[in-house]
Formats: sequence, structure tokens, C-alpha cells
Amino acid sequence: MGLDIHVNKLSVWYRGHQALRQVSLDVNAGEVLALIGPSGCGKSTFLRALNRLLDEDLGARRTGQVMMEGVDVLAPEHDITALRRRVGMVFQTPNPFPFSIFDNVAYGLRLQGTNDAAALRRTVEESLRQAALWDEVRGKLRRPALALSGGQQQRLCIARALAVGPEVLLMDEPTASLDPLSTARIEELIGNLRGRYTIVLVTHNLRQAARVSDRTAFFAHGSLVEIGPTRQIFTVPQDPRTEEYLTGRMES
Amino acid sequence: MSMVRDRAPTRITAAATATFAVVGLGLIAALLLGAWPLIGEPRPLANLLGGLWDPLRGAYGLAPFFVGTVVVTATAMALTLPFSLAVAVVLSRPLPDGVRLGATRVLTVLTAVPSVIFGWWGLLAVVPWVRARFGGAGFSLLAAGLVLAIMVTPTLSLLFYQALRSVPRAFRDGSAALGATPDQTLVRMELPCALPLLIQAVLIAVARAVGETMAVQMVIGGQTVLPTGLTSPGATLTTQILTDMSIFPPGTRGHAVLDVMALVLMVGMYLLVRLAERWVAMP
Repeated sequence: MGLDIHVNKLSVWYRGHQALRQVSLDVNAGEVLALIGPSGCGKSTFLRALNRLLDEDLGARRTGQVMMEGVDVLAPEHDITALRRRVGMVFQTPNPFPFSIFDNVAYGLRLQGTNDAAALRRTVEESLRQAALWDEVRGKLRRPALALSGGQQQRLCIARALAVGPEVLLMDEPTASLDPLSTARIEELIGNLRGRYTIVLVTHNLRQAARVSDRTAFFAHGSLVEIGPTRQIFTVPQDPRTEEYLTGRMES
Repeated sequence: MSMVRDRAPTRITAAATATFAVVGLGLIAALLLGAWPLIGEPRPLANLLGGLWDPLRGAYGLAPFFVGTVVVTATAMALTLPFSLAVAVVLSRPLPDGVRLGATRVLTVLTAVPSVIFGWWGLLAVVPWVRARFGGAGFSLLAAGLVLAIMVTPTLSLLFYQALRSVPRAFRDGSAALGATPDQTLVRMELPCALPLLIQAVLIAVARAVGETMAVQMVIGGQTVLPTGLTSPGATLTTQILTDMSIFPPGTRGHAVLDVMALVLMVGMYLLVRLAERWVAMP
């Protein structure tokens, strides 16, 4: 399950400043790929290019290709709505909408025109189960999502993303604002989702990358420095810059 | 010495607040006092709610002015609401910074245009248009509604824009990331989230429309009979106070009626403000 992604010479400029330089890499179906690197190295920009959230920013320009099943999803004529249904996203700060728990998870389905109550209920329950939140919120689906704890809110956002049936999940530092216990639950959840979804995870937490990812890509100054199996990146990095960063000697 | 200096700001602000309260209460007291002779008469409500305004014969029915106020305000709101919302939506969408800044500056300048200028423009442009299009004198409830709509639009657009801008970027991104088109995000996310502020904006605009006097007086025609349609001339509570305040000297029955009209307006405004507060207090 999941989807192969081939990124070919992706460059992004923000108002004249180049944020990504000719990045080429492959993401394999069903794997967890961790993106690490100093702040401002282009990890989040890379993520936002994959679902074209960059397009919402008038100041952003890009070149290159992102191929999914042989189609360049960055091509202007590619259906952006269809792309975002296949490529879900979880943000750095949990951003549940100020609606009920149920309406949050059902949001994406309703966008697609699903109004059948039974079908909505089924998918909402299934998504909440997948996001390991069901046991905590069953019977309370009408309560406001903002009343949940930070960790629960983030799992709700994951459920919301899963509800539209994506094949890829982009996670932009999903545990940055969470306590250690909630972080552990999200990491466990990522482990459970591995194989069913292709997951690209941006993280500042090197141990997290080591714990949950199959492969790791190291970015610096907008360029991809190195990509490889996580164990290898963390034990025998090929590039001296990777080693400097991992040992805390790199200045961003 | 220092104690005295420390207390000075508190005393100044307290004195200012007290003055304000005294002036406000004094205003209401003066109106009540002025209106009292009329309220003390037998059947004051029946007299005031009548449709006949004929001061020379002692008839002071306010119905024509109630109708005028409601119709003019409703016309203005019906015209300005969709337009202002459209302006706000465009401003809240991705735009080059210069365009957004320029547009908000123009709107801000327009909110500061004195109402007499809108009335003047209404006299020169709107009244002749209504005359040419619908016949009659042109001075009409419709002309007043049109002028008010134009006048309120800059304020309402800016308030709507601020309401939409209050929706966090993270919600918009979250909605877009789920595959929502900008219009779906607007209808399913931004408008529901901004609803309390949008409603408050509408109430502020209604208050402005109900209270506007000069611009309306210049184009409404000043008829004191019940209007028969949108294109017939009429008067509102505020314009009739303006018209008659020099005619009825204090102490006359007509002056007491003007005091009643002012009281009615103040109570109406108070209710609008309370409604606005209630909506914003909603979660």
C-alpha cells in the first residue's frame, strides 16, 4: 500500500530567496522517510511542495517534478484537489477546526459530497480507530474538538487526514508541541501506519527519526546532502556535514 | 508628594468616566423630561403609533417615520451586504501585498468621507437616476437606501475583512490540505468561524444606517405620509427630528414628540449594541 514518489530536481524560491536547490529523491511505497536538518534547511518547504500547499503562497515559485504513478503532480493542469486527497498532511501545531470531533473528521468527506449519515459515521469511527483515538472519544463525538488535550488534538488531525483515504501522509514536526507521553503515542501510531501509507516525516528530534523511520534524508541550506537507511545515516554517514550535524557540531 | 502624583492618573480617568456618565444620564433625563407631557397623556401609544402626522391639528403619528427608517435601512443593508462581503472575501484571498494595502487604504479613506458629501453626490447622481428610471420626483426611500448602501460599504467591507482575517492561517491550510477549494474553505470553514464577528459587523452597519441623518435628509424627500412604495418620498425618525426641530419650540407638544422620537432611537440603538455584544460573547 502507499505510493511511490519520485522527486526530480525540485527547486523552490520564496520572494527571490532560494529555499530548495535541485532536490532529487525517491520515497518508497509504505515506508517512513524522516527529513532532518537544521532550521531553515528547506524540509518543511519540501513537504509543502509535495501537496502543493506552496501554491497558496503567491510569493513562492518552483521548478522540477514530483512524479506519482508516472504523473507530474506539480504540472499546472494537474487537479490540485485530487492530489490533496491522495496526499494528506499533519501540521506542526495541532489545528483542529473549532467544530465538534465528529465534524472535524467528517470535514474532508463532506467536501467530496458525502452526506450519507451512516457512511460518515462508519468512516469517522474507522479513522479514529486508526489514529488510536477512538477509545478516548467514543460517545463524545459531539464535543468540541478544542476541548481535547494537545496530544489528542494531534491524533484527531491524523484521523481527519486519514478519513479521506490518502495514500501518502506528510507530517511536519507532528510532535513539536507535545509532551513526551503524547509524543510516544504519536510515534507508536506512526509505527502502526507504516506499510499502509507512505509517510514523510519532518522532525527536529533525531531520536524520533532514529526510532520510527526506515530511511532518513539530511537537508542543509536547501540541498539534499544525503539519504539512506536510517541505521546507516546515524551510524556511518557518508557525508562529513551529516556527521557534523548529528554530533552537534554544525551551525545552521 | 509622590503619592499624590501616583494617584493623579487614577483621579483623572475616574473624573473623565464620571463626567461621561453624568452627561449620558443627563441626556436621557432631559429627553425623558421633555417627553413626559406626552407620555402622561391618555393613550400615548395609540397616538404615537398612528399613521397621521399633522401637528397643526394635534396628530403626531410616528408610523410613517418608523416605516421610513425600517425600509431605508433594510434597502441599504440588502444592497451593501453581498457587495461588502464580496470585497472582504477578495481582500482575504492571496493578493499581491501592494494591491491589498492599496485597497484597504482606499476603503479607510472612504470611511472618513463626511456624510454630507455622500448626500451631495446622492442629490447629483442617485436622485436623477431614480427619477429617470422609475419616474416621480426621484427623492425617495430608494434613493436614501442607495446612498446609505454606498456610504456603509467601506466600513462594512473593512469589518468583514477583519472578521475573515481573524480565522487562523492554520485552519485555512488545514482545510486546503484536505482538498478544499478556496470557495469550500470560505463556506464551510471561514464563514462559520467568523460568524460572531460578521454578525457584529452587520449590527454596527445597521446602527450606522439607522442613525444617519444628513445624507438621508438630502435625498429622501421629507414626506410625512405613509410611503406607498420604494420610489415614493418619505422620512425617517432622524430626518424628521432634523426637519422639525426648528419648527417646534421647547414646551410645545410637537417638541415633546421629537423627544419621544429621540428616546425611541436611543433605546433601539441600545438594543442593537446589546445584541452585538451578545453575539461576540458567543464561543
